Amino acid sequence: MLKTIHACILLLSMGAASSSATEAAVDTSLLLKEVQIVQSYSEQQKQTNSLSTEHINRDYLFQNQQGNLMKTLGQLPGVSNIDIGSGMSKPVIRGLSFNRVLVVENNIKHEAQQWGVDHGLEMDAYTVDKAVVIKGPASLPYGSDAIGGVVQLTSGLMPQANTLGGSIEFHGKTNNDLLGTSLWLYGRSERIWASLRLSRIDRGDDKVPADSVDIYSYRAALYKNHLRNTAGKERNAHLTLGWLQDHYQGRLTLSRTHSKAGFFANAHGLEPRNVDSRLHDRSSRDILDPFQEVTHLKLLQTNQWSGARFALETNLGYQRNLRNEWSPYVSHGYMPATFPDSLDFDPDLERAFDKSIYTAQLKTSYKMDDNRQIVAGINGEKQFNHINGRGFMIPEFQQNSLGIYALAHRRWNTDLHAEVGLRYDLGHLQTQAYQDWFPSPTTDDTNPSEWVYLQRAASIDRYFGAWSGSVGLSYVPQPWSVKVHLGKSFRMPIAKELAANGVNYHRFSYEVGDPNLSPETSYQWDATIAYANNRFRIDWNPFFQYFPNYIYLNPTSEHDRLYGNGNQVYYYTQAKVRRYGSEIQLRFQATNHFEMGLTGEILRSKQLSGSKKGYTLPFSPPDALHLSTKWHRSKLGPIQQAYAAIDVEIVATQNRLVPPEITTPGHQIVHLSMGGIVPLSSQNIHIALQVRNLFNTKYFNHTSYYRLINLPEPGRNLALSLRIPFQRLLNQKK
Amino acid sequence: MKPIGILFLLTSLIAVLTSCGQDTDIDSEKPTIDLTYPETFPLNGDTLYFGSTATIKLRLQDNNQLGSTRSLSIDMHHNFDHHSHSTEVDESNLDPAKSPVNPYVFIQSYDLPPNLNSYDTEIQINLPKQNEAGLYDSGDYHFFISLTDAQGWSTQKGLSIKIVHR
Repeated sequence: MLKTIHACILLLSMGAASSSATEAAVDTSLLLKEVQIVQSYSEQQKQTNSLSTEHINRDYLFQNQQGNLMKTLGQLPGVSNIDIGSGMSKPVIRGLSFNRVLVVENNIKHEAQQWGVDHGLEMDAYTVDKAVVIKGPASLPYGSDAIGGVVQLTSGLMPQANTLGGSIEFHGKTNNDLLGTSLWLYGRSERIWASLRLSRIDRGDDKVPADSVDIYSYRAALYKNHLRNTAGKERNAHLTLGWLQDHYQGRLTLSRTHSKAGFFANAHGLEPRNVDSRLHDRSSRDILDPFQEVTHLKLLQTNQWSGARFALETNLGYQRNLRNEWSPYVSHGYMPATFPDSLDFDPDLERAFDKSIYTAQLKTSYKMDDNRQIVAGINGEKQFNHINGRGFMIPEFQQNSLGIYALAHRRWNTDLHAEVGLRYDLGHLQTQAYQDWFPSPTTDDTNPSEWVYLQRAASIDRYFGAWSGSVGLSYVPQPWSVKVHLGKSFRMPIAKELAANGVNYHRFSYEVGDPNLSPETSYQWDATIAYANNRFRIDWNPFFQYFPNYIYLNPTSEHDRLYGNGNQVYYYTQAKVRRYGSEIQLRFQATNHFEMGLTGEILRSKQLSGSKKGYTLPFSPPDALHLSTKWHRSKLGPIQQAYAAIDVEIVATQNRLVPPEITTPGHQIVHLSMGGIVPLSSQNIHIALQVRNLFNTKYFNHTSYYRLINLPEPGRNLALSLRIPFQRLLNQKK
Repeated sequence: MKPIGILFLLTSLIAVLTSCGQDTDIDSEKPTIDLTYPETFPLNGDTLYFGSTATIKLRLQDNNQLGSTRSLSIDMHHNFDHHSHSTEVDESNLDPAKSPVNPYVFIQSYDLPPNLNSYDTEIQINLPKQNEAGLYDSGDYHFFISLTDAQGWSTQKGLSIKIVHR
């Protein structure tokens, strides 16, 4: 224990600097003045909002670009990812993920197949100008799924008046030979503006510092350290049209993302199968079976009216998410050895999900005086979900939800703020029954007599209703700030939790839902204690959360007989769960050019009832410390805003496990980064260079879905980002 | 306010929180299938016969408690395509690869008596000669065993066997 303290102090005195997002205050806006306004607004939000949040801007995203957007955000304290390969990451906030974390783009909830582990976020990372991560339940404005937290993304900021411009961006990575290119064009007269972004990303197979991986004790040799068939590509387009008047702003956003990504061929299917290595090893850039193809279409329309006291906002959204998962037909269970030609789907279509979502929101705010404000809103959503393919996981379903909320904000003086809110949600979920397309024997006997088309899921028709509420208090006497927040939030069970009945092809398990689950409820206490002066800043965010009925996928001792290889059966159940933890951030400006930082996070979860009483929850992030030292100069010869940084990630061993997890040893890895703005004739070129995992350390990530098959994380990786902005002022007629 | 003082306090707090709170009374060990048990049948390379009964003898163990309901799963499926999985599979003595015509499939799970930490199985499996489509294909098969304990920890063994007509 003393040793630990000494070690920590030693580390501290060695110095370090979190490139904590909030501080990446290098000017984004050589181009856009508005950005700066937003920045200071977020600082103010961070102070007066009683929930603990992390704010990051375009520059942070540019300088710390990772394989995908969620991996970039995963570097923030209290935020991590559940990964399945380099292209697919899910946001994890304080250990909660999937349908417990909501992603919002321009005020509208991003709706896709959040429940699936191999389903990444269908978002063009280049379009994101600003990201805010709310750590803790924010059910109040967002409803059901925000029980763990919210990732708010803002894209398409309004350009300066009377300008034409854009930028071209390149991003390259050596580990998987990734090349990303993004072209941005914009134009604004006084009152009308438009912005268009086209991006493409192509990446080859991931490389890991290992010659082989052990997939459930079967050793698969890797060719030249390549993870077979993990290559992928993305093609994205994003168009925004905006118009504004004195007290009004409107905008229309149309975006389409399309991605195709291979699954690690050695670890997909019913069992760890030997794959055709010759075929896969021929090229590291081809995408062969098994793979997934996802298209997400989004149309959003926003109107904002703001007067001196009264403001009104409307949001309308239409989204369609189409996901096809392909793998060669392999009969399993009692599927016929050769695929019959009488069916209406392709034998190689493993699964397909097609979801359409309609969203409508209305939000108003009224300022009674300088000290009192009321915000009220209503939001509704309608979803249609269709399935296809040979394998069953979740049934077709329709879901409607409606929420109504009110929030009151009171300020007594500049230092003391309070906020109280209440919300009611109503949900209706209707699932369709599903029957196998092939017959199975009904008897347990080895000489079956009767063969039937088994019903995998019965139809379900359920209504859910629940109250959420929160009370928050901020006391900010400079240089201190203290914020406390108490809340109750809820989450409607999803179709998968109620009606799943199928093989999880990534985990070699069989998952079964429970149609009688009750809505998940959570009570949370959350606080921020911060101190800041000119040179020094410290933030401490402790939290405590209690779930009387956490929905949990429980591995049992049963095996499935009818569908697959005798996979272990996991049932959705509910248990009492207690969670607590904290994040800490320190920043020390040693000199005008030198700053050091430290961030640390710990999280503890415990199931207090049920068959896993005493165990933690799955995918518990390990304790972690992140140290960094950053040197920066506003001018270094011709280079502006030059910086260089060393980051050290120290992650503890995770031995708090729940079946089927395995202990993940701790690791230390070092990253380097440097960059600046280089003027080249009349252009400014933004450059950011990163060396990730400098010493090519072989380490494991406990929250990777491939942890179970002993797949190490990527080795040394050189990443270079370039951005070349251009702008022209239009003639102003006045 | 002295920053170093705050630093020290908070660091100690982290250290305290990190160093306590581990549960020791939960089971974290997987069950085992002991293939060195002398009676074990089948082992890699053993042959089973269509139209006869095979007796499966395995020694199953767990540090705490074996599972009971459907906790042992046995699965036999053809390996005519020479696919491969899990430990113990010995690929040294395979017949040439071929396409399945009427391969034999067997998937069954078995209950174990409750509250045991060691159990020796004696499971009779009756392998039929044929189905409506005719005689089953003889050749290379995989014999795949999966075992769970009461807490849901699982272990797998895959064996390479032959099933032939006498």
